[in-house]
Amino acid sequence: MHSDIVISQSDGRPMYLQIMEQVKQRVAVGEWAPGDEIPSIRQLAMDLRVSVITIKRAYLELEREGVILTQQGKGSIIAPNPGLSPHVYHAELSERLDEVVRLGDLLGLSSDEIARRTKEAANRLNEARLNEAGFTKEIV
Amino acid sequence: MSDFSVQFEGVSKRYTHFSLENIHLELPTGSIMGFIGANGAGKSTTIRILMGLVHQDTGTVRVLGHSMPGDQAAAKLDIGFVSEDMRLYGAATLKWHMDFMRPIYPRWDQTYAEELARRFDLKPQQKIKGLSHGQRVKSALLLALARRPRLLVLDEPTTGLDPVARMEVLSELMAVLADEDRTILFSSHNTLDVEQISDQITFIDRGRIIDSDDKEVFLDRWRRLRLVLPPDGVVPRLPGVVEVGGSGRLPVLTTNRFEPAMVSACNDLGATVQAVDTMTLEEIFVANVHSRRERLTA
Amino acid sequence: MNYSMVKSLIFKDWYFQRQAILLSLAGGALSLGIVVFGGQAGFTIGLILLVTVMVMLSAMTVLGNTLGERENQTLAFAMSLPISYLEYTTSKILGNLLIFVPFWLALVAGSLALIVATPVIHGFFAFTIIMAVEILVSTCLMIAVALVTESKGWAISAMVTGNVALNVVGYLVAQIPGIKDGMFGTAIYWNPTATILLAIEFALILLLLGIAFFIQSRKKDFI
Repeated sequence: MHSDIVISQSDGRPMYLQIMEQVKQRVAVGEWAPGDEIPSIRQLAMDLRVSVITIKRAYLELEREGVILTQQGKGSIIAPNPGLSPHVYHAELSERLDEVVRLGDLLGLSSDEIARRTKEAANRLNEARLNEAGFTKEIV
Repeated sequence: MSDFSVQFEGVSKRYTHFSLENIHLELPTGSIMGFIGANGAGKSTTIRILMGLVHQDTGTVRVLGHSMPGDQAAAKLDIGFVSEDMRLYGAATLKWHMDFMRPIYPRWDQTYAEELARRFDLKPQQKIKGLSHGQRVKSALLLALARRPRLLVLDEPTTGLDPVARMEVLSELMAVLADEDRTILFSSHNTLDVEQISDQITFIDRGRIIDSDDKEVFLDRWRRLRLVLPPDGVVPRLPGVVEVGGSGRLPVLTTNRFEPAMVSACNDLGATVQAVDTMTLEEIFVANVHSRRERLTA
Repeated sequence: MNYSMVKSLIFKDWYFQRQAILLSLAGGALSLGIVVFGGQAGFTIGLILLVTVMVMLSAMTVLGNTLGERENQTLAFAMSLPISYLEYTTSKILGNLLIFVPFWLALVAGSLALIVATPVIHGFFAFTIIMAVEILVSTCLMIAVALVTESKGWAISAMVTGNVALNVVGYLVAQIPGIKDGMFGTAIYWNPTATILLAIEFALILLLLGIAFFIQSRKKDFI
């Protein structure tokens, strides 16, 4: 099974995190259903041209979070009950928001201005997603 | 089958103006190790000792279970070696080289060789002396890969290649590792490539191995802490800080033993942690070398 | 020792020297023709030509395939093959000798045949054999020096030394009573003196090649 995972070299985050996020996204969006086979560690390493050890780490973390299951000698599958614990995402969101507020504060922005900038960023993300799907629509 | 494809123990080699001291190296079978060092650091010498081309003064070297340099002929049957200063025979064609290799290596895969020629955009009928540098590198790699070696030893395999060729070479290297029994050791200036595909990384500087570990451990251990000090503040003293940079009130600490507890420790000592930056392999290497050289001269 | 690899290496060397070899074959055939059909003047001229062809051939092939490896940086490639110094050294020595010896044999056979067929110079039989083997000795010297030193300068010095030695030895041997006495006679002779000289020469060849092997085996930096 060929993965369609694409990693970005300019993304500053560690590679194993990028991979984890993309796997979770695919599960969240429904492309990979519970019980589906996912590429073996070595297969994915080959496809992405990323070291085996990084893929291993990503898979280990995903297993710990309950998103995937690895069967000895038989590869990995999406867990029947992928606990995509939202609290993982919530924790990260809080951390990032703290950082955003701190930077905004350094720049001397008011909290309204910071909120506006946040909304602009959300717009940008939506636009990019819709462009991909072939539409253009602005959400205010 | 040994757990390690390559084992160096206490290896040293002394020349008039340079010496390799107490090299200890272990390369697990099935993994890929990136070897990073400045020019003249000893990468090539280490690799030559691995291949039995240079005899060590002290220490033992085992490659694929064979003792080097004594058993080098047997070992090299399973090794594919490409180095920067190696040349193919200019007066002959790539096809001649392929025909020359075929009867020598029992696992020579002619179909794969021809496929690689297509993928690398090489014309087997062309004489080597008429090829560009990049094409020569790819030709040498083709000859090393087509013999399906258990160990690939590459000295600067992507140096001088255009980005597309680099990508193809990296793909082929990763494809080699699809077989769990095959191992790769490569030295490179290109820290991006090393960072991306290596399982293990070894740093070498001035004839000594200064660090060797799993790549993920490196990337986890090293951080840059950007601090903001209060007007009379003092840079907090933390264990494992390798370098202190930045300006008076905005110090930047580089550490090789990062733990989340450090952030709270800094805050407790009165310094606000503004950011915790990860470091690229290149930054880690440079910081490692700098701090070591400073310690030696201090 | 891996004989199959030695064979591959030798054929590879011959392949890269093929032009030099073919040219020398042509030159050698021409010289032989002159020796056989050129009468008395042709005998001398032809032999000198043949010796020249042999010297040039040995110089070209030895310099080409021994020193060439280091010069063209193909030594690393050769040593990356499943061989050790043993196969490498053997292939260089054997490869060079196997090119040289047929020419040398032609020279010896041709000269001896001529001597046997010409009663007036029968006495030169022993001397000719001894000098012919001396040529072989100086060639082995050049092969050994080129292989061990990998230096053009040293190899050329060895070649010059060999040539000078040839003349010096020729002069000296011609003075030895056991040889001198019969040299200008009309009888083909062989005596213990000649045997001893021959034995010394073959011992020298074995010594030179043996030392070359020994030094090669002690090299700690093959590249």
